[in-house]
Amino acid sequence: MTPESFLLLVVGGGIAGTIGAMLGLGGGVFLVPFLTLVFDLPMHQAVATSILAVIATSSAGAAMNMERRVVNLRLGMVLEISTVIGAIFGGVTANMLSGQVLSRIFATLLLVVSFLMIWRVRHFRQDHSPAEEGGFPASYKDESTGALISYSAKRVPLVSLIALIAGNISGLLGVGGGIFKVPAMNMISGVPMKAATATSNFMIGVTAAASAFIYFAHGHLNPFIVSPAVLGVLGGSFLGIKINRRIKGSLLTWMFAGVLLIISVRMFTR
Amino acid sequence: MDQEATERRVERWIGRILRFGVWASAGLMVAGLVAAWISDGALRIPKENPPATEVLRQLLAGSLEPTTLIFGGLILLMLTPLLRVLTAAAGFIVEKDHKFTLVSFVIFLMLVGELAYSLR
Repeated sequence: MTPESFLLLVVGGGIAGTIGAMLGLGGGVFLVPFLTLVFDLPMHQAVATSILAVIATSSAGAAMNMERRVVNLRLGMVLEISTVIGAIFGGVTANMLSGQVLSRIFATLLLVVSFLMIWRVRHFRQDHSPAEEGGFPASYKDESTGALISYSAKRVPLVSLIALIAGNISGLLGVGGGIFKVPAMNMISGVPMKAATATSNFMIGVTAAASAFIYFAHGHLNPFIVSPAVLGVLGGSFLGIKINRRIKGSLLTWMFAGVLLIISVRMFTR
Repeated sequence: MDQEATERRVERWIGRILRFGVWASAGLMVAGLVAAWISDGALRIPKENPPATEVLRQLLAGSLEPTTLIFGGLILLMLTPLLRVLTAAAGFIVEKDHKFTLVSFVIFLMLVGELAYSLR
């Protein structure tokens, strides 16, 4: 590997991590296309690399969120049962499919994600389920207003089903699945957006770990590709969190939804 | 108040485990990459990725080969979420929350089972 390729991997991972953190996504939706389209990496190796990157960013972000007490630990643990089951099936299925098929499925996912990103901006709930109405009551201090937000989660079985599907997609395609879990927790369960994002971020590391060992066992982890990409994504996600506080979210969302659409077309036609 | 203090402590411990896992694994990866560069003068990507069982064997033997160091970092990264689940379970035991202790152990066992099955 040339120094230029190595640097490109770190920088590419860094950009994926930065954009992912700014948009509240894992870096996977950007990292997998980068690895397959720019590096011509086989799809399974790209997915395996992305899964490790998701674990890294999830663990780093969750550490901060735990200390801020925004994560609904109990809700997250219950939903993790479904996501882990989904992820295990996803990982097993992925290793039965060809790279070409996985690539097409991923391109379809990018289409769905780009629309979901826009839809989420327009439709996310500003209110939340009151603490006495649902299960898993929790509270956190909103850093921007100083107010104590108390809430609960309703319709958890339905959200568990969506978490199962999100886990399956995560194991299959190397993404975190937060793009499905966050709207589900916010719009169906009535969990405030910040708590839903933090809880999802907390969960996706475990979801990714569930399928990571399957890819490792199948020999899809190339250490000299995975490590610079993961290190880049980790650095990028810290940067993305810092930038995120200063930039208006909706404009970015529109821009990157457009980028994902273009990448999706590129992957379909590859 | 005791319950809240216990929850706070559990959350702080989970945060510490996560931070340790991420930084220790990053450290091992960097060490492996630097070692590879120093020993070979370049990063030579192997034609085939080493089998998982071979990697584990070398790790357990305490090998300091660059590839083994990098894999050590990656495996630690993969294990961090498992450690996190175990810490949460310990916290629920201290809080005497039997329902979520059970939930945590179910998740932990699923992950361990999947790990064992993958490496069989």
